[in-house]
Amino acid sequence: MKTSLRILGCAALLGMTALAQAEVAVIVNPGAAKAPSQSEVANIFLGKDKSMKGVDIKDWTPAKESFYAAVTSKNESQLKSYWSGLVFTGKGQPMASVADEAAVVAKVAAEADAIGYVTSAAVNDSVKVLFTLP
Amino acid sequence: MTAVRVIGLAALCLATTQAYALEQGEHRFNGFGTLGVTHLGGEDDGRSYGVQGQTNDSWRGDQLSKFGAQLSYGITDTVGVTVQATAKAQQDEWKPNLEWAYLSWQTNDQLMLRAGRLRSPVYMYSESLDVGYSYPWLRLPDEVYSQVQVTNYEGVDAVYTVPLSYGSVTFQVAGGEAKNRDYYAYDEQFDIDYGNLFGASVSLATNDFGTLRIGYVEADIKTDISGTVDVGGGMMMPLSLLSLDKEKGKFTSIGYQYDNGTWISSNEWTSRMIENDDMESIDSFYLMGGRRFGNFLPHLTYAQLDDNGGRQTSWTMGLNYQATPTVVVKGEYKRVDTQNGYDGVFSRNAQEVFDNAVYDLSAGTRGAPARNYDGDIVSVGVDFVF
Repeated sequence: MKTSLRILGCAALLGMTALAQAEVAVIVNPGAAKAPSQSEVANIFLGKDKSMKGVDIKDWTPAKESFYAAVTSKNESQLKSYWSGLVFTGKGQPMASVADEAAVVAKVAAEADAIGYVTSAAVNDSVKVLFTLP
Repeated sequence: MTAVRVIGLAALCLATTQAYALEQGEHRFNGFGTLGVTHLGGEDDGRSYGVQGQTNDSWRGDQLSKFGAQLSYGITDTVGVTVQATAKAQQDEWKPNLEWAYLSWQTNDQLMLRAGRLRSPVYMYSESLDVGYSYPWLRLPDEVYSQVQVTNYEGVDAVYTVPLSYGSVTFQVAGGEAKNRDYYAYDEQFDIDYGNLFGASVSLATNDFGTLRIGYVEADIKTDISGTVDVGGGMMMPLSLLSLDKEKGKFTSIGYQYDNGTWISSNEWTSRMIENDDMESIDSFYLMGGRRFGNFLPHLTYAQLDDNGGRQTSWTMGLNYQATPTVVVKGEYKRVDTQNGYDGVFSRNAQEVFDNAVYDLSAGTRGAPARNYDGDIVSVGVDFVF
């Protein structure tokens, strides 16, 4: 119990250093049926392409910032504005979101059609990296 | 090893249940609102302006302020129910409206069918008309957004979205009717019915080059707009201003929006035609551009309304401040002018219409000439979503 706690603490520290670097990896399940391109990933996370299930991070983290800036060219308020345009016109709902990167990895590892993004350091063997964003 | 097998099994199970919309039992609650005041200066005292004529020379909050809440609930993984209620002020009286109440069915990755009370897909911003946060102004350009006042209908629609390598394209087809709606004209409220309402639109959203939307709506319009006027010497007579018995109204809108994070632009052209109303089509458009400087967005809009020889033009200068990702503070100054004796979006009452007509018919010997209007409209407010 003690050891695993220490490991968790260590992982958290690692996660924090990675946050500062903020190299972001787009991850899918190892058994994913397809490997979407960057523009397809944009469509998935903007709710236009429902063939895969995007897993979002709840809070606005540096990784989230880099991911949306690189893939969809949107910052936080633009993304908010985009979704309010869909939510209040009944055309879509934002992705299901989870609390942190570990939960993204766990969800992508567990669901064949899930796709997520995490800082590169959070990636482990249970998921496949599709591409990384600087 | 066991753990890996379990994960693999879970993955297989989950792969068969894709989450198209909200999952079963999941719900989302969202809200939006605008708190704003607006003032018309320059025009004579008491003259009112606006889609509902609620802008005049006192600082009023009822033209711009509104609140709404929306609840979506997943009945199954693909069938959901959405209800949206708003509170808006109509002629100083706050009224609750059930703007939306529909069932939606996501039949597959691309096609969604909806039935119930839906927003009429008339303008580019029709479906988020009350959500000020979704557009850059406090006041949507009145020249365009005064053309069709009906905001919802009872019926069905189909929304078909195809992802593309450079964006996506969405087709929408809608059908239904809207009976007993309010229509504001000549400073009064009238009843209006829209039967056999049909609409179709296509929207091409690109990742790098903005979004183009083309929409068309038609309906059989039934309304009787009349007033009581003093025909001379205090003798009051009823005057019919517009009587439509299921005449077909046709409305076309072409819109284009662009936003790359720094530069923003929003533009729309519309044309409204009603069969057998003895009028030419009414055409209007606006062109808007702005640039973000950090959290500030200064923007400029030109709008024009052409109605059977009359013309209204306006320039709007605005400054928006993004206070938080969900709150925008907005300020606007709008200068409006009309030409050729046209009232535009200014309110002209039945008596004035009559006096103007008498003047024309009597070759200027009686009545009063139609005149031009101008005004300076200042609006300040806050838009928010949650």
